[in-house]
Amino acid sequence: MLDSHFRSSQPTRQRRLPPATPHSWESAFQAYYVELCEYVLRFVGSAEAAQDLVQDLFLRLWDSRGPRDVTRLTRPYLYVAARNRALKYLRHRRVVTTWIARAACEDTPPSDTPEDLCLCAELDDVVQRAIAQLPARCRAVFMLRRREQLSYREIATRLGVSLGTVKSQMWRATLRLRAKLGPYLARPAIPEGRAG
Amino acid sequence: MAEGIEESDLLRFVEGDCSPDEAAAIQAWIAADPRRGELLDELRAVWRLTGSTTRPWVVAEARIRLLRSRGRHAAQGSAGFSARPRLLRLARSGLGPIRIAAAIACVVAGTVLWRLRPHSAAFREYATPPGQRLQLTLPDSSRVLLSVGTRLRVPRDFAVSERSVELDGEAYFVVRHDPRRPFLVRTRQGVTEDLGTSFDVRAYPQEHFVQVVVAAGRVALRGGRGGDSVLSLRSRDRGVIDARGVLSATSGVSLGDYLAWTRGTLVFRYARLGDVVAQLGRWYDVDIEISGASGTAERLTISFATRSVDEALTTLAQVLDARWTRSGRMVRLTPLHRRQ
Repeated sequence: MLDSHFRSSQPTRQRRLPPATPHSWESAFQAYYVELCEYVLRFVGSAEAAQDLVQDLFLRLWDSRGPRDVTRLTRPYLYVAARNRALKYLRHRRVVTTWIARAACEDTPPSDTPEDLCLCAELDDVVQRAIAQLPARCRAVFMLRRREQLSYREIATRLGVSLGTVKSQMWRATLRLRAKLGPYLARPAIPEGRAG
Repeated sequence: MAEGIEESDLLRFVEGDCSPDEAAAIQAWIAADPRRGELLDELRAVWRLTGSTTRPWVVAEARIRLLRSRGRHAAQGSAGFSARPRLLRLARSGLGPIRIAAAIACVVAGTVLWRLRPHSAAFREYATPPGQRLQLTLPDSSRVLLSVGTRLRVPRDFAVSERSVELDGEAYFVVRHDPRRPFLVRTRQGVTEDLGTSFDVRAYPQEHFVQVVVAAGRVALRGGRGGDSVLSLRSRDRGVIDARGVLSATSGVSLGDYLAWTRGTLVFRYARLGDVVAQLGRWYDVDIEISGASGTAERLTISFATRSVDEALTTLAQVLDARWTRSGRMVRLTPLHRRQ
């Protein structure tokens, strides 16, 4: 098959690192902001906090140290820095230590390779079938949330049901999918999507 | 132990809808029982399988906030960071109307400045310098790997009605197929339309041709001149639009050769020395000059798998029977024996 096209994305140079330019900063921000938010969210569980932490990281890279060299804008560096910030944040907020210990085991999600993407396409069929088998109302709620990314309130209005119903249907949908997709959930080869 | 937390609250946690305080309570609740941790992992896995992100992150907004704080910081030349959280904290703690007013004024000024920027650009541009590659995911979750010295312009309204990007350089696309919104790669000399695929497009301005190699699926290649001629390409087809806008196709090419760069290897088969040198220059960020440059039309078959520019130069020099010297970015190749 197509080998690992997307692996080793930082190639070719060890010798002379060019200084980072506004351009490389912008590129890195556009390319990694969402991934990093997703990653930090796993630690902190609050999107608000995750966004602040990632934003702070980028600002720091730009501001106080200046855009010194492009290694600071590479995926591996950004992940390590984001992770350190997230752990520091958890300690600072005195989050229970057992959680911090758990969070400390979060791996950096691998970049996807085309094999993964191919696998992903196969898996996609399985997932689509599982979703199609959900009870109609359950499915409607789930799709509005996951595909159209509406808020619970918007879904309630759209479907003319209560907020509580939306939440409980969403939970039911998730549990059913978990049961249906059980064999696939733990497989390490599953691509991380956008760094989930 | 936090009161009133139920399993179904895990979902809010996975989606990030909690405030930081709520999150802390739920974290304590999860940590208290390993089975809750397992459930959390499985819910996250379901989420990962059913969507590309856990929630709709607003990149554009975050970018504006950042540029604003960055701009203000640069203007003050002071050592602070992260103006936004600070402003918010100020406003939340209600420290008096004047400071809040000042804060609002700042934000308004920032917004106005932002609006007045010359490039409120209709495009987002991703660029790699020589020696660097970049992998990115487009809003429709199609993925792109940009090769060295490449520019990709993505319209701000990408995927609203059509999915169209502009490319200068080389990139490998893995496109999420959507028959209602075709995926178009525009290059100087033509347009590549995805019909559900992975494919490589090469269009360096210096090379005066566009080359499309299809790894999987189907692609339509349209010529730039008039745009009437269309080439339909399938897996292992290579389509080219030459400098005069003429389309041609070859079947059954070696994907390994054309896509080797995506794995960090450069492969040349019977390539002109001039082209090899140009691509090496981009790949390793050097300028290679061949003294007594007689033989740039010479053909050679060679591959480079190394990250070290010096090793690559040594390989090339051996094949050419030449010597090389390098100072910084400047490389000089000198043939040992006079070749014709």
